[in-house]
Amino acid sequence: MNRDLERLISLHDLDVMIGDLVNKDIRRQEKRLGLSPDDAVAELRKMRDELDSSINRRFRDKYNQLSAHYGNAVVPVVHERCSGCFTQLPTALFASPERNEQVETCPSCGRFIYWAD
Amino acid sequence: MKKQCSHSNWSVSSADRRSAINELLAGAAVSDEARELLTIALETRELAEPTIVHPGIAMPHCRSILVDEISIIIARSENGIPWPKEKVNVIILFISPVKPSGPQQHMELIRHLARYLRDGGAEAVLNAETAAEAAAVLRFNICESEQNEQGS
Repeated sequence: MNRDLERLISLHDLDVMIGDLVNKDIRRQEKRLGLSPDDAVAELRKMRDELDSSINRRFRDKYNQLSAHYGNAVVPVVHERCSGCFTQLPTALFASPERNEQVETCPSCGRFIYWAD
Repeated sequence: MKKQCSHSNWSVSSADRRSAINELLAGAAVSDEARELLTIALETRELAEPTIVHPGIAMPHCRSILVDEISIIIARSENGIPWPKEKVNVIILFISPVKPSGPQQHMELIRHLARYLRDGGAEAVLNAETAAEAAAVLRFNICESEQNEQGS
């Protein structure tokens, strides 16, 4: 898998993790288990900054724009469709033997896409 | 209602946290690439704060766009795994998909575990002799075809 694509997926999962730990219902349950979501969030934000700065600036800026606009910037391709906007992807894109070997975006919504299978 | 446990491994051989997480994920229905990225995500959470929910029990967990259904894996290491300051014998690992509807499913699973680990549940899981016994304490069903109880 393309290194930038890996980092974009990791950044997305890290953003989800931080988002979950600031969610008041999840925080309450984590505290019931004896965990400290506040401490975890502070550390995860530092890690996020490090990861963010390791990504090609072009992709990073686009990621941040897409996240702000849609709430998610990276989505899997499901049944040959972008799972963000459900647009059918062009044959040339999903039939390519080099899927995931370069950073691809949905031609309709612009989200970063990857193939999970 | 019982949850579906995707996999169990009652004889974890890894000697460190990261390897153990990776070993457990071998039972999840994901590609090798996804497994590596999921290991990184779970390890990142552990680096931020070890998810030790009871002495001897760790609960690595996250949501990820790399899975499309919940994966729950319960595992045991006889010798214990450094996590890294305390040794952990039982690992309850789960990954939930990222859905447009939000983290409700993930939160429900955390709530479920918090409920059944309390009031002696954690001790019962630690003392369980088989994965099925531990799963019963946690109100999980185990997919029999995926079960690995070697050495139990």
